[in-house]
Amino acid sequence: MAVAFRNVTKVFPDGTVALDGFELTFETGEFVVLLGPSGSGKTTACRILAGLEPATSGRIEVGGRDITDLPPRERGMSMVFQNYALYAHKSVYDNIAYPLRVRGVPKQEIDGRVRDTARLLQIDELMGRRPGQLSGGQAQRVAVARALVWQPDICLMDEPLSNLDAILRLQTRTELKRLHAELKTTFVFVTHDQEEAMTLGTRIAVLKDGSLVQFDTPREIYHRPASRFVAEFIGRPAMNVIDGAIAGGRFRADGLELALPGRADQAVGLGIRPEHILLHGRPKEGAQAFRLDVKELVEPDMLLFVRRGALALVVRTKADLAGLDALEPGAEVHLELPGERLHLFDAASGLRQP
Amino acid sequence: MRKPWRMVALATLVVVLVIALTPYLWLLMTSFKTRLDALADAPVWLFTPTLEHYPMVFLDKGYLPLVGNSLIVAGVTTALSLAIGVPAAYVFARHDFAGKEDLFFFFLTTRMAPPISVVVPMFLFFGYVGLIDTRTSVILAHSTFNLSLVVWMMRGFFADIPREIDEAAQMDGHTRTGMFLRVLLPLAAPGMAATAVLCFILSWNEFLYALILVAFESRTLTVGIPGLVTPHGTLWGQVAAVAVVATLPIIVFTFLVQRHLVRGLTFGAVKG
Amino acid sequence: MNLSRWGSGILDRGVGPLFLVPALLLLVVLLVGPFLYMVGVSFTDLSFALPGHDGNFVGFENYRRLMREDPVFWQSFGTTLVFVSSVVSVEFGLGFALALLLFHHVQRRRFVLTLLLIPMMLAPVAVGLMWKLMLHGEFGMLTHYLRELGLLGPQTALLGNHDLVLPTVMLVDVWEWTPFVTLVFLAGLLSLPREPFEAAVMDGARPWQVFRDITVPLLRPIIALVLLLRGIDAFKEFDKVFILTGGGPGTATELISIYAWRVNFRNWDLGYGAVCAFMVYLVVLILCAVSYKAIYWTEGRAVK
Repeated sequence: MAVAFRNVTKVFPDGTVALDGFELTFETGEFVVLLGPSGSGKTTACRILAGLEPATSGRIEVGGRDITDLPPRERGMSMVFQNYALYAHKSVYDNIAYPLRVRGVPKQEIDGRVRDTARLLQIDELMGRRPGQLSGGQAQRVAVARALVWQPDICLMDEPLSNLDAILRLQTRTELKRLHAELKTTFVFVTHDQEEAMTLGTRIAVLKDGSLVQFDTPREIYHRPASRFVAEFIGRPAMNVIDGAIAGGRFRADGLELALPGRADQAVGLGIRPEHILLHGRPKEGAQAFRLDVKELVEPDMLLFVRRGALALVVRTKADLAGLDALEPGAEVHLELPGERLHLFDAASGLRQP
Repeated sequence: MRKPWRMVALATLVVVLVIALTPYLWLLMTSFKTRLDALADAPVWLFTPTLEHYPMVFLDKGYLPLVGNSLIVAGVTTALSLAIGVPAAYVFARHDFAGKEDLFFFFLTTRMAPPISVVVPMFLFFGYVGLIDTRTSVILAHSTFNLSLVVWMMRGFFADIPREIDEAAQMDGHTRTGMFLRVLLPLAAPGMAATAVLCFILSWNEFLYALILVAFESRTLTVGIPGLVTPHGTLWGQVAAVAVVATLPIIVFTFLVQRHLVRGLTFGAVKG
Repeated sequence: MNLSRWGSGILDRGVGPLFLVPALLLLVVLLVGPFLYMVGVSFTDLSFALPGHDGNFVGFENYRRLMREDPVFWQSFGTTLVFVSSVVSVEFGLGFALALLLFHHVQRRRFVLTLLLIPMMLAPVAVGLMWKLMLHGEFGMLTHYLRELGLLGPQTALLGNHDLVLPTVMLVDVWEWTPFVTLVFLAGLLSLPREPFEAAVMDGARPWQVFRDITVPLLRPIIALVLLLRGIDAFKEFDKVFILTGGGPGTATELISIYAWRVNFRNWDLGYGAVCAFMVYLVVLILCAVSYKAIYWTEGRAVK
């Protein structure tokens, strides 16, 4: 069964265009991540799918049925909110039971399902507490339990991890992956954190300025970014992109020249990820000499910030690479940019060149 | 599905507004009606207005000084309550000391105290010190309830100012007193204006204290009105004229302070 | 030199709690002192009307009289309770409903609200007069239309009829104070977080379930606050009823404040009047202590 955004546009009363002809289709059972910087429209897309926000124009379809005008309770979707939105005046048990109660599920069954779900999320010890007495991580689990207890078709999550501290965020990430594998529920997960997106999503939808830029598996997004924006947004440190031009089979930029045989003449951005640059201790055929500016140790890796004239690049390499310790700022390093690791983006549109 | 609901809502609202406003409109109209129109068997909605009641009651019957009394009482009460109450509110907002909340509760009780229970002892007391039938007695009486209003409202406004502002002002070299006068007071000024207007309204509208404490020269407008109502032959045009003068400025003020009204009327418990 | 150092020291530490002194002084001199004086008077036979009653100590005589020999006091106490419970519940219901209506269905609330607030901002004396004019037995505008509609007999006047006068006075109070309830509830509704409502909608709740399970529980502190503030104010009611009926006809609308006024300033029975005033104060003080708790409850919740 397919879930689809069909040419959805959302203009807020103040004139802000949050979504601009947004198109996206995915299958149930997936773990879809909506990824983008703030203001890209990812949260709006999620809320329109939920039915909390009406679309200005366009349609939402599930399994070919138009659900654009259905109220949230008839869409078979649940939601985990960024700040959890637990009912402060109800106990944990009553919070989780609420979706079942308003749907008129028999009392006996409610109890069983609430307890099963609580056990699944390891919060069965907390049933009598109030939300005010929970830690951030516990509140988050209660919110997830409330969203899953009635077995919705789709579970929406709007930046659910962003209020957790770093360690807890990693644990919960793994937990969500486990839940998805176990329950086979469709998850739609909104985040601005590319690492979260890469680890969680079966497919990632990257949004920019209210439109879909790329919808692909994490592997594809990393290895074949559809545009310079995606390339620079995914991966830390960000991909090096060098502005220049191809002429007569050679790429020329301020401070760099490379052979790129078989390429048409055009202005391009040449991209290479820091981890794909090869570092050599001495001059080598095809390698270029750079001057080392700053070294940063990010165990087990080392980041090298290098310069050559106006050109600045970042290189990521293993920290225990032989001879690395001896390199001091100012030293000369030799970098090789392997041809199969290069990405080319059109200078004007930013689109990937095949 | 939403449309019909909107219509019902709007219709209800219109009915509510008509009910809320008609009595006052009627009063306004009566103040411009001739005696004949005012006493007609069937209510008169369209009539040739007359201006005779206003000069009659304010000049010939001598009600003009009452307007002056009301202005003086409400004005001085407001100034006095602010002068004493604002510094106290600042202390409640920024200082901690033993018994603070109990003291605060005491301020609340003075606002809540039933006027009849306060005015009896005040009458005895002002009689003893010879202040009966002076504007001073009413000013002092009104200051008691307005003072606690000021303390309650202004505490909230001071509390709304982030403490970092205090700290920044002190790092900039202000003394704490200088900081209060030159930094916090200007920041709290809008709230203070609203508080002042509310104080003025409450004093201007007050009836029971003034009724008991003053009788002749120092009467306020509210105390003067019932004097025009007699069992036989009340001149309703004149009554209405006084009532209009007593209420129109308040309506203007209401528009001015509407945003802060909730806070003032709920002792800061609900912010508007 | 020394003096200026001392001066700047004071300025620097801030006079602090000293700022409270003028306020406290005013309240002590004008409220506490006279109040204690009144308690003293309540143990005497002070009266301006009876010769020889110039403040002789009579012990608990006045209190005994209040408890045992004054059915009129207890009757007015009863009238007051009927008045308070009726007007507060009607104002609560109407005001809350109106607030919900404004909250959900009206966009340009501020202007509408300001118009709605006019009744409660007018001087209560003026409100009394306006309604006396509207309800006048001979040429009252409302009286006329009620008679036209056959709802009122030709000889009956709402303010002159022993059975109708109390409900009428209550309706005027409802007219005056329902806007207050609306104002506070609207502010309360606007201050509520949006998330619990969205969560409930996502959980599948229908509008009436959202109201019952989310709106009402979240507004509970404000509900308590409104009930108590209105309760206390209604208990103190004097001005409007005094103008409308003077407590009559007979004692049909003699609320406790009006009774206390009559004992003190018509009968000039000040010793006994002090006891009456003291009783009114006591009831309000109790209500007040409860409402203070309610207000703090609200604040505590707001912080969370």
